[in-house]
Amino acid sequence: MIETLLNFLNQEEVLQVIIVIGSMILFFIGLFGILTQRHFIKIFISIEIMEIAIFIFFIGLAFQKGKTAPMLGDGITKFINMNDPIPHAMILTAIVIGMAVLALGVSMAIEYNKLTGITTIDKMNGLKN
Amino acid sequence: MMSSIYFIALPLLFGFSVPILSKFGKNGVAYTSLILQLSLFLLSITLVLDLTTPIVEVIAISPPLGIALVSDNVSMFFVTIFTFFTLVLSIYYMGQRENKKYANENKFFILLNMLLASAIGLVLSSDIFNIYVFFEIAGISSYILSSYEKTANALEAGLKYLLTGAMASIFLVFGIFLIYLHLGTLNLALISQNFYTLSIELQLLIATLLFVGFGFKVEVFPFNLWVSDIYEGSTPLVNALFSSIVSKAYLFVFFHLLYLFIPHHNFTDFLLSVGVISMILAEIVAIKQTNIKRVFAYSSLGQLGLLFIAFSMQTSDAIIAGLYILLAHSIAKMVIFLSLDSIINKYKSEDISVLEKMNSPFMKWILLISMLSLLGIPLFAGFVGKFLILKTFGIAGYFGIISAIILASLIEAIYYFKLIGLMFKNTEKGDYMEISILQKSVLLLLTISILFIGVYPFILSDWINLASETMINSHTYQNIILGVQL
Repeated sequence: MIETLLNFLNQEEVLQVIIVIGSMILFFIGLFGILTQRHFIKIFISIEIMEIAIFIFFIGLAFQKGKTAPMLGDGITKFINMNDPIPHAMILTAIVIGMAVLALGVSMAIEYNKLTGITTIDKMNGLKN
Repeated sequence: MMSSIYFIALPLLFGFSVPILSKFGKNGVAYTSLILQLSLFLLSITLVLDLTTPIVEVIAISPPLGIALVSDNVSMFFVTIFTFFTLVLSIYYMGQRENKKYANENKFFILLNMLLASAIGLVLSSDIFNIYVFFEIAGISSYILSSYEKTANALEAGLKYLLTGAMASIFLVFGIFLIYLHLGTLNLALISQNFYTLSIELQLLIATLLFVGFGFKVEVFPFNLWVSDIYEGSTPLVNALFSSIVSKAYLFVFFHLLYLFIPHHNFTDFLLSVGVISMILAEIVAIKQTNIKRVFAYSSLGQLGLLFIAFSMQTSDAIIAGLYILLAHSIAKMVIFLSLDSIINKYKSEDISVLEKMNSPFMKWILLISMLSLLGIPLFAGFVGKFLILKTFGIAGYFGIISAIILASLIEAIYYFKLIGLMFKNTEKGDYMEISILQKSVLLLLTISILFIGVYPFILSDWINLASETMINSHTYQNIILGVQL
């Protein structure tokens, strides 16, 4: 019973559907968080959830089952049946950039909080509209 | 050897070498930055003058796998503008440096050069992921620049900018990932060749994601709600950068990608309405503002809406008009924000009544000329673009758009004449405002260029015509990138 379920889940199409649906759910959780939450840190976390959802979506769809890592060694001498390494490189770059922006944002929020004591964006109205 | 990689490499190298440069006396960093910007400007001028065929600078691996920087007529047009305005801004800053210095000034120079490098990178790069990286570098340096003074208002502006920018980058990177998943390439030329093979729904989804991503940065409706706050919180010197350089770089990249990917699209009407709404809305809101930085922020938003309208048409005449408006707006906004920086520093007030108190005949005339240019009065630079855009839309038969542009100009006239009235009112003036020679010469140079372009716009017409031809022709772009071999 469990074996058939695992075999069913292990098909490439099923995996991709799971990844797409799962990451999109995660994406909308993040979007919902940005739209409903007011605390700085919660908004940053929501932004990060959205970002991670997109990374999962991309890496999940770019990875093809049964292909190996693009490295030589362990008896592999030719670049045959390898996964595309570019998505991994892109994701790593994007993660680093995302973390940098997040760290900058958190440090700015802390500075702002030290000056004014405000922790939520709806109270952040020193600049009048 | 002259190469376009210097535009990106040298400013970044400068950033890394600041710790060493700061050992050479207290002016080491400032003068090096000034020399760097001067040499980049001269380099861009020399490249523009010999530009017969587009130069493709390949980095390590030839395209489509590697990254290439394309210096063609239109990208060099933008690079020249960016290097020129950064140079002008640095000189202006040097002029006021003895009176009012930024705290931790070295950081300011690093960020300024980072912003220049990333704006140039956005324009030159032919790889969409590389565009994302430069998008983020420009973003990070602008967030820090807008919260530079570390007052509550500045930090609020920086935080608002960062939150919107982070949202924008998520949507942009989502679009880029979808492109890579379906086309297997990041090279703009290859994407441009194969984009039509995607299904219509997917094309629309990617276009929407890129529109949302760039919409936050190009400051169009409905993504521009926080932009005026950002302008109010930042110093005018930084606003000059945002208004004249950063938003123009994003605008160019957005339309460049649009022309390359979907050359025969059918959402001109949608883009036109976005432009019209952002223009009219911004101009209406500007009337009521009492903070002077906010007034000009909304005026920038209105002008960006006008530029959006011009580029949405996707005909070479409309692009020519757009490039003229872009140039005139950049020069005028540079003059206005630079002089506002001195005025606000001197009189310590951001209310529009500060113009009434201002006691400096020189500033008065300079501001008058740049405001008239923004309004599009004949004999000033702004007139050429506005005239050409009205003519283009008249020939194409879009009379709704023409009336919207004229309406927006009329609303603009209301608040500009209010400001001009305040400046020329005969009331008690404040202290006399001293302006250093460097600052005076910078402002004078920019104002003379406004008048010169207004009187004799044909001096630029060859260059701008070539630029618009290059921008609209996606086949040439594909051929020059894919034809390159190491």
